[in-house]
Amino acid sequence: MRNAVPTFRSPRLFSRVITPGIVLVLVMGLAGSLQADGSMGGHADHHGSAEPHIQYRQAVMSGIGANMGAIASILKNRLSMPGHVAIHATMIADSARLIAPAFEKKVVEGPTDAKAAIWEDWKDFQEDIAKMEEAARNLAKAASGQDPAAVGPAVKALGKSCGGCHEEFRKPKEESYKNAAR
Amino acid sequence: MGIAWIVLISVSSNPVLGESGAQPGDVGRGRHVFFATGGCTCHTNLPGEGKDAPLLAGGRGLKTPFGVFYSTNITPDPETGIGDWSDADFMRAMREGLSPDGEHYFPVFPYTSFSGLTDQDLVDLRAYLASLPAIRRENRPPDAPFPFSWRATLAGWKWLNFEPVPLPDAPDRSEAWIRGRYLVTAAAHCGECHTPRTLTGGLDRSMWLAGSREGPEGELAPNITPDPKTGIGRWSVADLVWYLEMGIKPDGDDTQGLMAEVIEHGYSHLPKSDLEAIAVYLKALPAIEHDLRRE
Repeated sequence: MRNAVPTFRSPRLFSRVITPGIVLVLVMGLAGSLQADGSMGGHADHHGSAEPHIQYRQAVMSGIGANMGAIASILKNRLSMPGHVAIHATMIADSARLIAPAFEKKVVEGPTDAKAAIWEDWKDFQEDIAKMEEAARNLAKAASGQDPAAVGPAVKALGKSCGGCHEEFRKPKEESYKNAAR
Repeated sequence: MGIAWIVLISVSSNPVLGESGAQPGDVGRGRHVFFATGGCTCHTNLPGEGKDAPLLAGGRGLKTPFGVFYSTNITPDPETGIGDWSDADFMRAMREGLSPDGEHYFPVFPYTSFSGLTDQDLVDLRAYLASLPAIRRENRPPDAPFPFSWRATLAGWKWLNFEPVPLPDAPDRSEAWIRGRYLVTAAAHCGECHTPRTLTGGLDRSMWLAGSREGPEGELAPNITPDPKTGIGRWSVADLVWYLEMGIKPDGDDTQGLMAEVIEHGYSHLPKSDLEAIAVYLKALPAIEHDLRRE
């Protein structure tokens, strides 16, 4: 009885059956063309590892994320790590200076979530990095100062600067290369 | 067929204000309820109009598998908003998905979850919304193919998919869990995005909060059951509270999309006790393994 209203089914049918069907056909076509020219596209070697620029810039960004995670870990768990938040924040601020050189060479093909917008809007990208560095220096200052209440808002501001840049220049999780089965 | 009539009757006989004994709406308490809903951000067209988008004046396109539906104006403008509604109208809309004229709302509006809100929270929320600036903006019809654009079909949809949120007594549970269940299930309406849907667009309750690839605006809403591999099993209560306050994940990454908005304009303004209650409830859910990235 509950299945007696078929009118709602068609879009689902489309997303569940027809769309995968189309994707399958496209993938098969792509596989065929890869075989035909015998290459993987030139940005990954035969073992599927990352192009060196992608590898390096991902290492830089992961380092920043790790320091952010460390700051969060100290604060949310109230760990007694005197001076650590300021050091992590300084490491993030210093790492900000690595980002632009790391991304200077345009590489968008391969296992990366970098959007082409980085190179199209290079000036905006650099401005976002500068904002991030400033937010990280502010946090370092707040964390070494006498006012613990200033730390929370400074972390939030730093997090927002990450998010603002990622929104423009990093592919959303729905489109991430990480979604592909490895 | 018998079940259908029972559901229809129970839907249409939901209590409205007057019988409920709720105190008059309070703006301060209502602000709290507003934050618990995530700041009603679907009603502000931030993606389309940016930071200057008129607050709560609607017009935001919500992409669903059934078409694009536009959120409505919920400012107190009497003609294009909800300014001339009574509290009873507001409660009926929130609980039963019916307009003051008796038209069905498209279930992209999560009355399915809000049906679990208490009378008091509803009148308080109404009072808060009424205190905000009125903005004149006409509502926009959906861009959806027939029959999904046709409101009369929704009676059938409700029959298939809508039951007021059940929140049975749970004497064995902690106060935090009970508060967390109320917040997650009714107010914060987490299940509307984080639970996958059935063929007819109803929530698949056997997969409660196990994540969905078809969140509004085409977003992927992650598995938030405590499965260690595919869910939040490795997140502590402190991680979850911090996340809902700051939008920063345990690995230091930030949050994007609708979740970033509901944190910024909603959940991050809740008292810590409420965030802890949400975390306690989520951590106590049955873990469901559901890998969205590889589906």
